[in-house]
Amino acid sequence: MKRTFLGEFEEVVLLTVAILGEEAYGVTVTQELEQKTGRSVGFSTVHTTLQRMEEKGLLSSKMGGATAERGGRRKRFFTVTAFGRKALQEVKQVREELWNALPPQTLQLMGG
Amino acid sequence: MMRYFPPRWITALFRWFADPDTLEETEGDLLEMYAYWVGAVGLRKARWKYIFTVVRLLRPFAKHKRSKEYPQPFLFSHAMIRNYFKIAFRNLRQNKAYAIINVSGLMLGITCAMLIFMLVKYHLGFDRFHSKSDHIYRIVTEMHRDDIAYVGSVPSPLGKVFRNDYTFAEKVARIASFNEQLISVKTGNEVRKFKEEEGVAFAETEYFDIFNFPLSEGDYETALAEPNSVIVTERIAKKYFGSTHVINKTFRFDNRIDVTIKGVLRDLPETTDQKAEIFVSYPTLKQYNDWLASDDSWGGIQSSMQCYVRLRPGIAVSEVEKVFPAYVKRYRPESKNVHHYKLQPLSDIHFNARYGGTMEKRNLWILSVIGTFLIITACVNFINLATAQTLKLSKEVGVRKVLGSGRGQLFWQFIAQTSLITGIATLASVLITMLVLPYFNQLFETRIRLDFLSDWQLFVFLAGLMVLVTLFAGSYPGLIIARFQPIMALKGKLSQQNIGGFNTRRALIITQFAISQILIIGMIVIAKQMHYSQQSDLGFVKDAVVMLPIASEPGAAKTVKNQLQQIAGVENVSLCFDAPASDNNWGTTPYYDNRSEEEAFRITMRPADQDYVKTFGLKVLAGRNIFPSDTTREFLVNETFARKLNLASSTEVLGKQLRVNGNMTGLIVGVIKDFHDTSFHEDINPICISSASDRYASYAVKINLGNMPATMAAIEKVWSKTHPDEIYEYEFLNDQIASFYDTEALMLTLIQIFSSIAVFIGCLGLYGLVSFMAVQKTKEIGIRKVLGSSINQILWIFGKEFVLLIVFAFCIAAPVAWWLMRGWLKDFKFRIELGAWIFALSIFITLGIAALTVLFKSFRAATMDPVKSLRNE
Repeated sequence: MKRTFLGEFEEVVLLTVAILGEEAYGVTVTQELEQKTGRSVGFSTVHTTLQRMEEKGLLSSKMGGATAERGGRRKRFFTVTAFGRKALQEVKQVREELWNALPPQTLQLMGG
Repeated sequence: MMRYFPPRWITALFRWFADPDTLEETEGDLLEMYAYWVGAVGLRKARWKYIFTVVRLLRPFAKHKRSKEYPQPFLFSHAMIRNYFKIAFRNLRQNKAYAIINVSGLMLGITCAMLIFMLVKYHLGFDRFHSKSDHIYRIVTEMHRDDIAYVGSVPSPLGKVFRNDYTFAEKVARIASFNEQLISVKTGNEVRKFKEEEGVAFAETEYFDIFNFPLSEGDYETALAEPNSVIVTERIAKKYFGSTHVINKTFRFDNRIDVTIKGVLRDLPETTDQKAEIFVSYPTLKQYNDWLASDDSWGGIQSSMQCYVRLRPGIAVSEVEKVFPAYVKRYRPESKNVHHYKLQPLSDIHFNARYGGTMEKRNLWILSVIGTFLIITACVNFINLATAQTLKLSKEVGVRKVLGSGRGQLFWQFIAQTSLITGIATLASVLITMLVLPYFNQLFETRIRLDFLSDWQLFVFLAGLMVLVTLFAGSYPGLIIARFQPIMALKGKLSQQNIGGFNTRRALIITQFAISQILIIGMIVIAKQMHYSQQSDLGFVKDAVVMLPIASEPGAAKTVKNQLQQIAGVENVSLCFDAPASDNNWGTTPYYDNRSEEEAFRITMRPADQDYVKTFGLKVLAGRNIFPSDTTREFLVNETFARKLNLASSTEVLGKQLRVNGNMTGLIVGVIKDFHDTSFHEDINPICISSASDRYASYAVKINLGNMPATMAAIEKVWSKTHPDEIYEYEFLNDQIASFYDTEALMLTLIQIFSSIAVFIGCLGLYGLVSFMAVQKTKEIGIRKVLGSSINQILWIFGKEFVLLIVFAFCIAAPVAWWLMRGWLKDFKFRIELGAWIFALSIFITLGIAALTVLFKSFRAATMDPVKSLRNE
């Protein structure tokens, strides 16, 4: 397969990580998703997705410093890798091509 | 912020089963999420959400994938092990005294353990090599009178009838062995004589079916079929004829029976109780002992006649033993001496002293326990010294810890050092064992060889022992070292308190001294009892009495006696069956006076002439001595005999008739004072002395010790002249009596060796502890001296510590030793009291030795210049 297939949820999580920048870790990603999408998102799902995308090379992670809160446990911060950025670009491009290919009357029907 | 905590159990579950790689951050994330949920949906729902999330995050089979941030070197990597040993070697080289003390302590312990292991293994291996040895039994006899006697032999016809009447046994073999046989080998005109200690055995052919002794020449099926044929071992063949090809050669034994060699046996293995090497065909027995060979000699049992059987598979012992009483009923209906025949397994023969086994299992146990004790003392010693030394290692340990060494590594490093010491000690003990093995074999009359190639068990034992000792001795000091705080260690601020365990070491010293004192008390008791058995008055004269065998016709014996009496240094000569105390016992049951039934007790016969009383200084209490006679006319009995008859007074027996052994009848003419007729293990038996010249087997010659060599030479001359066909032998009665206590003498030698080793090891430990204390107390001693303490007062600081330890050890050792030795003494009917002085002596000895050890070291500490010790900061 030439391109990495990015699932819908994966795409959303990847975007959120990119949005959060330096502050992206399990909790912030979950909360951000809930607020932005308005749907209830399971932490476990987010966690698993983050892990999976790291394995695929879309994300990289690094442990942060010790924290005073959460019992001194460190956080694992995620950043989008170059490969991840490329994947996002490709998804976006495919979408735009598809949108552009839509006949104008259909677009009107949809109220756009 | 963290006011709410999720349920603990679910967190614990999470820790157990979550992916270990992401555990830390996930746990933190979950905590944050929980707080968030509590705010968003309330406590109850938050908890459910938490539990649900955790369950979804469990990854029970996940393993670490990411490598650690700081890679740890493998604990047992080649480089690390090399380093451990290098450092260990340097440490040892630096503390030579410490190394020597440790190595020698362990070496002694391991040597003893190894020797004991070899001995135990040797004895356990007896007669294990016969095929189907589980089914081989010896028929033995219990003789029930008013007491029970046990013999390993049976009436000679029993084997034959059992073979004919029943099919329980695949093979039945009778063998009659006679020790101390004279063999004459004629080559040309020259006759050479040999005395065979293990003698000659008359064996049935089946004997070689049961026992796995292969022949190198001839065929056992036919070799022993004819009378006057014989099978000998290769060793005997070489000894007599210088070759192993000796078929059809002849020799003569007992100066009367000629035999022809029909087969040659391979040499017997060391580990068998079947000691005979000359097997004469069973039909020949008729010529040697007609009574024993006959089919109706049910009347008595001779210890020479043994019967072995190999049962068919699946036949139970009880089944066989059930048929034996019928024989007793049929053949011995009258006798008060009721025989019970039993089957004794082959594996029991070597160990059951009741039936003449040579090495009781109990003794093997005692030895094993002592061996374990010695190993423990050696280990304790090591622990003691090593713990005392740990302070010296503190800098090294500090540096190692700072450089990232873990506890495990430090522990194993110390174990490596210990294993180096154990390894050296083990090698040294193998060498020592090689050196002492010949003496050891001599002491135990064994032929043990040290051969690692064929003896894998010894190898495994030694390797196992080494590992065990290393772990046992190295663990405690190793743990202490691993516990050091690096900062304290580097600053040199570690002290006694930090390494702790002074009480542990006290306890160890107490253990050591308790063990030593038990052994010392044992040693004193055994020595004292031996002295008592041999030096106390036995009721007869045993010094300066020489026993010579009578080897000719009874008539000639009288002439020899007269000639012996002519010799200047000879005081008295008596012709007799044996000395008053002897284990060559001839027992029988008496008929007294006109009582119709035989008495219920067994008496010991001591046939002898009228000079017996004079020669051995026996005391006639009532009546008179017997008159000279060749046949049995008159009897002397001892006090026990008279007492057993249940008479009002012992003088009543005088003038009464007595019949013994079926046909010896006469009047009782005198009562003699009791004397010890066997060892102190047994009570005094009823004794009966009477003349019976055909029963005499020895000359008892009482000599004057004045000019002994000349007297002995004269005796030999007289004896040899009249017995030209025999080999001259003599034995002093003293030595004969001493041989009753051979086992005890061996035990005494052993316990002497072992207790000195234990004490020695204990002292090494003590020495180590004192040296350590001296270093610890340098300052204290300096200050005390400045303030005016005398040397004696300072010595007492050390002294009181060890006196206390030894007294403590004594409190443990004394009751244990008392209990053990009381059990040991129970084997003796006549025994010493376990007096307080024995215990006092033992603690005195221990204190003395300990004091010497302690003084040696503490004196140096006490006399040190206080300026030096105090300036040293």
